[in-house]
Amino acid sequence: MRTVLRVFGECCLTAGAVLLLFLAYLLWGTTLATSAHQHAFASQLQRQWGDQRDAKPATTRLHLVTGQPFAFIRVPRFGLHWRFAIVQGTDLPQLALGPGHVPGTALPGQIGNFAVAAHRVTAGNPFYDLNQLRPGDRVVIITAAATYTYRVTHAELVLPGDTAVLDPVPGHPRQRPDQAMITLITCDPPWTGTHRIIVFGSLHAQAPRTGHTG
Amino acid sequence: MYQWLWQRLPGGAPSKAICAAILAIATAALLWFIVFPWITPLLPVDHVMPGG
Repeated sequence: MRTVLRVFGECCLTAGAVLLLFLAYLLWGTTLATSAHQHAFASQLQRQWGDQRDAKPATTRLHLVTGQPFAFIRVPRFGLHWRFAIVQGTDLPQLALGPGHVPGTALPGQIGNFAVAAHRVTAGNPFYDLNQLRPGDRVVIITAAATYTYRVTHAELVLPGDTAVLDPVPGHPRQRPDQAMITLITCDPPWTGTHRIIVFGSLHAQAPRTGHTG
Repeated sequence: MYQWLWQRLPGGAPSKAICAAILAIATAALLWFIVFPWITPLLPVDHVMPGG
């Protein structure tokens, strides 16, 4: 009986230690991995854009490859140093690398809806403060060709099944878009999957990219 | 369980302690680099995509 109790106690202690380690992994391990990818992406984009600047800047086209970066996102409200490379795709392997562009939605600056999803927590907590954005806040997307400045128009809290937010005109599946919009997506409350925070913005300005630092 | 393991580690107390530490670190590394990355997507943690 004593042996059984001791083994049971040891198993409980072991399980507790493993759970603590898993928590540490979620909090710091995923963030470390993401920031390593983000560093690599930043130098990759700067190298590519440096090459393209010598070639034909005006005709630069975006090459979308799943899991590969093609743009930077900056949100001044999140801090001057807040910057992520956006990768193509929003399945979990891509979201582990950074914010992802929802396949099939518009490209930056295009008429339609440029949708970007990112983790609220884990993987560097990219959209942790998404609920802090207010109408008028700037969301800046930098691609090889241009810098696009969107301004936040409104935000919504929706259920996970609501895919209408991804429509070219959000919420109006059959309507033809006539303006360039951005949609930022993450989960709410943090750590869960019960709701989604959706922040909408519309294109405010665009300018040729200056320098290649993003 | 741990007593059983301790008795099977070689050498005196210092040697056993070093072996135990190596085993513990190896287990933690296995969890951190293999098991946790594999299991995280299977858990309902922070799912962000509409419809997903």
